[in-house]
Amino acid sequence: MAIARSTPQKAGSALRYVALGLGAVLFLVPFYLLVRNGLMREADITAPDWSWLPPVPQWGNVRELFTDPAVPIARSLANSAVIAVTQTALVLLLSGMAGYGLARIPYRHADKVLWTVVATLLIPASVTFVPSFVLVSTLGWISTLRGLIIPGLFQAFATFLFRQYFLGFPKEIEEAARIDGLGWWGTFWRIVAPNSWGFVSAIATITFIGSWNAFLWPLVIGQDQSSWTVQIAVSTFLTQQTSNLHELFVAAAVAILPLVVMFVVLQRWIVEGVERTGINE
Amino acid sequence: MTSSSRPTPRPTSTTIGRRGFLGLAGALGAGALAACGGNTGRGDSGSGATGSNGKPAIAQWYHAYGESGTQQAVEGYAKAYPDGSVTVKWFPSGYDNTVASALLTATGPDVFENGNGPSIDMIQGKQVVDLTGILGDAQSDFTPSLIERMTYQGKLYAVPQVTDMQLMVYRKSLLEKAGVQPPTTVDELLAAAKKLTTDKVKGLFAGNDGGVGVLGGPMLWSAGLDYLNSDQTAFGFDDPKAAEGFAKLRTLFTSGSLLLGAPADWSDPSAFTQGLVAMQWTGLWTLPAIEKAFPGDYGVMAWPGLASGDKGSVPVGAYGSCVSAKAKDVEASKAFVKWLWVDQTDKQLDFAQSYGFHIPARKSVAQKASKLSSGPAADAVTLVNENGHAQTPLLWTPKCQTAFSDGLNRIVRSGADPTAEIATMKTVADAELKRVGG
Amino acid sequence: MAEAAAAGAGVAVRPRPSLGRRLRGDQDRNLWFWVFVGPFALGLLVFVYVPIAWSLYLSFFDSYNTVTPTTFVGLRNYGDMLSDPAFRSSLTTFLAFAVFIVPTTFVASLGLALLVHRARFLQTFFRSVFFLPTACSYVVAALIWKMSIFSGVRFGLANTILGWLGIEPVAWLSVVQPPWYWLVIVTVRLWLQVGFYMILFLAGLQRISPTLYEAAAVDGAQGFQVTRYITVPQLRATSAAVLLLLLVNAFQAFDEFYNLLATSGQYPPYGRPPLVYLYYVALGQGQDFGHGSAGAVILTLIIGLVAVLQGRVLRLGGRD
Repeated sequence: MAIARSTPQKAGSALRYVALGLGAVLFLVPFYLLVRNGLMREADITAPDWSWLPPVPQWGNVRELFTDPAVPIARSLANSAVIAVTQTALVLLLSGMAGYGLARIPYRHADKVLWTVVATLLIPASVTFVPSFVLVSTLGWISTLRGLIIPGLFQAFATFLFRQYFLGFPKEIEEAARIDGLGWWGTFWRIVAPNSWGFVSAIATITFIGSWNAFLWPLVIGQDQSSWTVQIAVSTFLTQQTSNLHELFVAAAVAILPLVVMFVVLQRWIVEGVERTGINE
Repeated sequence: MTSSSRPTPRPTSTTIGRRGFLGLAGALGAGALAACGGNTGRGDSGSGATGSNGKPAIAQWYHAYGESGTQQAVEGYAKAYPDGSVTVKWFPSGYDNTVASALLTATGPDVFENGNGPSIDMIQGKQVVDLTGILGDAQSDFTPSLIERMTYQGKLYAVPQVTDMQLMVYRKSLLEKAGVQPPTTVDELLAAAKKLTTDKVKGLFAGNDGGVGVLGGPMLWSAGLDYLNSDQTAFGFDDPKAAEGFAKLRTLFTSGSLLLGAPADWSDPSAFTQGLVAMQWTGLWTLPAIEKAFPGDYGVMAWPGLASGDKGSVPVGAYGSCVSAKAKDVEASKAFVKWLWVDQTDKQLDFAQSYGFHIPARKSVAQKASKLSSGPAADAVTLVNENGHAQTPLLWTPKCQTAFSDGLNRIVRSGADPTAEIATMKTVADAELKRVGG
Repeated sequence: MAEAAAAGAGVAVRPRPSLGRRLRGDQDRNLWFWVFVGPFALGLLVFVYVPIAWSLYLSFFDSYNTVTPTTFVGLRNYGDMLSDPAFRSSLTTFLAFAVFIVPTTFVASLGLALLVHRARFLQTFFRSVFFLPTACSYVVAALIWKMSIFSGVRFGLANTILGWLGIEPVAWLSVVQPPWYWLVIVTVRLWLQVGFYMILFLAGLQRISPTLYEAAAVDGAQGFQVTRYITVPQLRATSAAVLLLLLVNAFQAFDEFYNLLATSGQYPPYGRPPLVYLYYVALGQGQDFGHGSAGAVILTLIIGLVAVLQGRVLRLGGRD
């Protein structure tokens, strides 16, 4: 709209920035509280008079967390990282291939297969929780990385999103590849996959978040302390007898830090990818 | 209601992180990752029930006790067992659910603790083994009410570990300043709470739900009633006095003298030790922390009687050590339970008083507990003996407890009619009694 | 399908292809389909469909503390659940929750998207800030809300602000008259979700052709009129998708309710959505898998019904 801007438009623009600024402050307050409380002494957190900043920032709280003998926080961070990375990579592989097959290979019963995938989205995971647990236990996977990772691999939602995305992938490029003699396999790996990084990174992010933040499953499968994830470690502070708010908030901050850093660094890719999830089509 | 029968219902915070669409438990996969398994302990499930040194391997499960040092202590006991290699598993949260699910499988615990012994459904579902006779000569030395609570149809299903109790603590100095005596009836308590409430301090704290979770039982006993009748065949509080007692809890809730929304719940002493309240309903286990905060400036008492002449009450319970029917070696597991919770009295004493305060389940050991022999802790022991009631009866099932908690919530927090709510509770309890008792 | 038909014409002239040949399909398309989809489908079958079938089986049995029940009870568990006032009231709770949260999230995320879309500078910054909470888990968010913002004592942020205004502290999660706990539950969900849907709307906004706006400007349309007559209608597809996602997500609500309202061993009969109720029936010491599974099946059927109705509108199932 390359029209000279009138006064009401300028006022509108100013108002818009006031609204955006206000919204941004509200959205950042919880992060601020996490850091504020995490750097306070217990008595500062529960003091009757509000203070915006810790009177004396307690960086020692971080050390206290990492040296707490009851909570293996470093080990649990490592476990979470291994689980989330492996799960993300394998979900991309499994769902990416399945999504492509469902979108592009003209198999007679493809629609029926698609519906059996989509139907599982409607069933809350907690419904099948106990049978899943018994199944995994029967396989002897309790307290193993296998038991923690494989459960999260078959993501119907990721497959569905991949299928929607591949439907919108330019057909002409693929047809050119087919004429060059590439089969389904070659087309997928050499043409389609390398041109889908934005979308792949979006699915990767969603999967990584889900994996990193998972709680109930790791809780019952990771029965040994050595197989705890960081979410389980954080939860121990909620059950400790003496209230330990400062360590609880530091632990929570540590638990979300990797994701926040990832968001900030990968932000452009993620946004672009989410925008292309294809649900908008 | 997972904790209905737990002697020390601490907040277990079974926080669940299942996020939107990306359900975590939905899917499990083929053996593609077998190579990166990294089996972290536990050994082969089901087969070869022997540890590294040829002794039977026993997995023992505990919920996470909140006091630091407890976990190291029980690991030490396990290590000291000469006739088996015992591994301890310690669950930071969701213990009840994890045990319940794990008992369905062969990879569950061999020995585990459960609040007030196994549930009626665990016993009727044959998930736990009969331990009758395990106490031997010591049978008469155990607190009889605990043994009775863990017995069903003449068979013993658990060995009590330590006695736990809930009680009221109060700041002596604040009561004196307000000119208030420790209350002996509920009405006096209401008046005292009001008088003790100031700008900065509330009169009473009984949990962030206003006491709904913990005061229902004491209110019944203090009215001379109980959940079920004495032989557990019928609903126990279809009585105007129950309605009157519950109505008093409603009055307390709306009086403005109750602390609500504290960061920690009733099982944690911090509301009291931070000076937010003058009185708090809590557990025996908090006394060391309270002693540290206000040495000599606190006292303990029971939940007062409903009317003058009614006797005050405190709930008493115990974690009981059970043996799973799917244990790899049932006899070895029973032998370990006998060794630790019947024979090793020095370890029982250490467990009871070195971390949080508990009362040893064996009377002869309780007499040796020096930390329980004076001051408010000694008063608490007296309360157990004179005002103690088993927390909930064995046949008061989780479903009954949900109905009880729902009804009490409606009475206390939204002012529903107590008589009508009690009638609803009775309907549920009658059906459950028919199911498990019939 | 034209592509497939054309490919098929080439081989149709061959006489009677062998069985293996027919199974593999033209150009081995059946074989390749299963190479791509098979690993995922197999996992889904074993680790999703087996547990689902198992749950379904349990719902027809008396299944206390066992997953291998023996007492068949037919539809009795279903009848019990449908006549259970607590289960029915949990469905009502969900309904109230959905009626509120779906439009609120919708409007908030669309509003933010419009604001961010039109921002000329700092656009990336604002987009990041609103999107960042997506990284947070319900556990951590509930912790901040319960212990720091809506703590019932004076040092909670909300009560501190009320204190400046001379208002007495409110026990947000404890009182039910008025039901302040809804404020806590709704704000935590909004904070966690709005950013994600805002991004979807932003994508939709970027696809609207600038010529439409130019035409509108020529016609003299301004500000709100542009939004009302150009932007909103152009976002119809995005809106439908967002609505479906919001609705299914609301149905599966569990985490923030559980983390905010459960206290030691009990959950109040207020603000108790179906999944929380079923969790206590089946996964607690109750271990009543029969009734728990029956309730879950009923719930799934309701979700399915709603989704199919919405899916009709969206035509998600069709290939192209």
